[in-house]
Amino acid sequence: MTKPPTIAFFPEASFGAALNCVGIAQKLKENGANPVFICHAGFTGIFAEYGFREYHLPQNANNNVGAIEDYWQEFINTHLPHFNLNPLDQLPAYVTPTWEAIVDTAITAEEKLAAILERIDPDAIVLDNVVMFPAIAKARCPWIRIVSCAETEIPDPNVPPYLSGLSPGDDAACKTFKRAYLQHTRPVHRRYNEFRKAHGLPTLPAGIFLETSPTLNLLLSPRSVRFDRKLPLPEDKFVFLEGCVRLESAYELPRFPASDGPLVYMSFGSLGAIDTDLIKRMIDVFATIPARFLVNVGGFLEAYRDIPDNVHLGDWFPQPSVVEQAALFIHHGGNNSFCEALFYGVPSLILPYCWDGHDNAQRAEATGLGHRIDRKDWSNEFLRHKISVLLSDVDMRHRLVEVSRQMNENSGTDKAAHKILDAVQREENLWASTANQ
Amino acid sequence: MAGARRTSRPNHYALAQQVLSIALERGLKSGEHLAEKTFAEACGVSRTPIRSAFKILEENDILRWRQEEGYFLNIGSASQAAKALQRMEVAEDSLAHRILSDRAERRIGDVQSVSALVRRYAVSRNSVLNALKVLSKDGIVTQLPGRAWAFQPMVDSPNAIDESFDFRLMAEPQAVLAPGFNIDSNRAGLLRNQMENLLGSNEDRITAAVFQRIDFEFHSLIAEGSGNRFLRGTLLAHHRLRNATHKGGVIPRFRLRQAMIEHLEILDSLERNQLDLAADQMTVHLRRSRIRRPEAANRGIPPLLKGVRT
Repeated sequence: MTKPPTIAFFPEASFGAALNCVGIAQKLKENGANPVFICHAGFTGIFAEYGFREYHLPQNANNNVGAIEDYWQEFINTHLPHFNLNPLDQLPAYVTPTWEAIVDTAITAEEKLAAILERIDPDAIVLDNVVMFPAIAKARCPWIRIVSCAETEIPDPNVPPYLSGLSPGDDAACKTFKRAYLQHTRPVHRRYNEFRKAHGLPTLPAGIFLETSPTLNLLLSPRSVRFDRKLPLPEDKFVFLEGCVRLESAYELPRFPASDGPLVYMSFGSLGAIDTDLIKRMIDVFATIPARFLVNVGGFLEAYRDIPDNVHLGDWFPQPSVVEQAALFIHHGGNNSFCEALFYGVPSLILPYCWDGHDNAQRAEATGLGHRIDRKDWSNEFLRHKISVLLSDVDMRHRLVEVSRQMNENSGTDKAAHKILDAVQREENLWASTANQ
Repeated sequence: MAGARRTSRPNHYALAQQVLSIALERGLKSGEHLAEKTFAEACGVSRTPIRSAFKILEENDILRWRQEEGYFLNIGSASQAAKALQRMEVAEDSLAHRILSDRAERRIGDVQSVSALVRRYAVSRNSVLNALKVLSKDGIVTQLPGRAWAFQPMVDSPNAIDESFDFRLMAEPQAVLAPGFNIDSNRAGLLRNQMENLLGSNEDRITAAVFQRIDFEFHSLIAEGSGNRFLRGTLLAHHRLRNATHKGGVIPRFRLRQAMIEHLEILDSLERNQLDLAADQMTVHLRRSRIRRPEAANRGIPPLLKGVRT
């Protein structure tokens, strides 16, 4: 009997990537493979709860609970105001420091990651991240990339720059943003390339921190929001998944004392929950709207009081199951959130605060599948109006029904699992034919 | 003996909900007969309260009564059942329940005056006082000097849930180890049957609500068996508080099944009188159950396991 192939998933330390990988791993398991997870400290037990074996990267010695709490206080104090900046101004204030932190993570993880991969000896590695780890590139098996962010992460002359939130036709602004991006990220990129060279990997072009996989690259973007690329991506190496929505436990709606009206779900992702002032201000507006609101406040539940009768707060929601029941999804433009809204045909109201949230907000507006609001620049009346418009826009609803139909016809998780298994098989065949020569 | 220690019998509404949950867990279809004896055994009560529970279910169109034949299930799907249960909850929606739920949802503050509650719920002063009396019996509110009432800490936030697990990790294994532990074997057997039926069934039937009920019954059963009266009383009060104020959140189905298997393994050890082993298994079970999702994480930023200080 042949041993089932072991597929090692290595998602970055965020729920979007982690749970996206869970969806694909569930399908791989159904297809007889043995998916396992390499996880960052802090994610211990998350994958085990879904029935997968975990291998853990160690906690940094300086990252005890108190130190992490201090880090977070400092992070909130420093970066909360930066979330209100436009994408260009965020480059020096937020994007570059974040790249510094990402590169630090890659450097810190390298030695232990190599040891874990040696121990697992996987048949393939699935990397859902924005940076390459040399241990993965050098492992004795193929590696597969899940493009974590919006389609903009893979550059093309017709695609606006990554993280810019710009539209494709805006050439002058695109040029300015690209130049600024390269200028601000140059020092950290140089540091990252030094790290790569030290581990025997070739350097990467300016602004690029993760190469495409020579085996397989999986992108989430559904066709309804894709760009018209000048240089089409080769179909044998790049597969669009039409979203990639995991199976989650059913969500039983709570009872609202005021129980009339459509259901609106709001989540700004785990990081976005730090802006409690913004969320409190929005809740005050929700109190005046005849709808029911589920609001994800992450770890900050204790910061809230006097919650209106039509609002329910939670520190965690099984997002796909909730979005499925919602009439409107208010979110930050995270790639998974946006894809889940499209998958279930739910309009998006996007308040982006950083990274590819800007890019997805632009796509939602440009394709007529949602609206964007500036985080700092809205009045109560404006927010109320936007919500009302999105809840009653019949044309948008029709477009979303069609998008949802297309996405549901092609299960992204199924497709990803099969493509990964095909890649493993190809690699085995190649190895066998080389051995026979 | 253990049964006599129970501090509160389930009221008929709660029993009716339990009957419906069990009927669905056992896969009963619309039109199938519900035998009083079977449900009396499954719920660990006599036939009289079961009759009252059946009557409530009939009034809610969940059961149908036929003369000389008895009661038959009148709904067919889990979603119909969920709606029916919700309707029943509304019917049962006593003032105490509404006050407690609003506090758990952070709609009202932790100190309340009677007149503020009279205004919010548009009911008489006497109704509010009765509701507060009900809540104070379970230690959920206490009267302050003067006319205000204060809610006691609830299991209603990530930090509170964490502290609840800290407390349970100290107390629950000790409740088993204290001299004189004696489990109610009849109730343990009924609970075992329910869990085994669920584990053998389709995954869809293990909902968060079903799990919460079984989890509450299991941990209360262990607490009631303790030979130490103070551990017993404190743990029972804490489990009631958990059940009333913590809605359990959303747990992946794999973990729900795993947790029920752990319950069964603990029951195995208790029934073999291997109390040391059962106490250790309880520690493992609680440690696994307390694993928390990181509260916040993103690119290059270490995740937090507890909420940020606010």
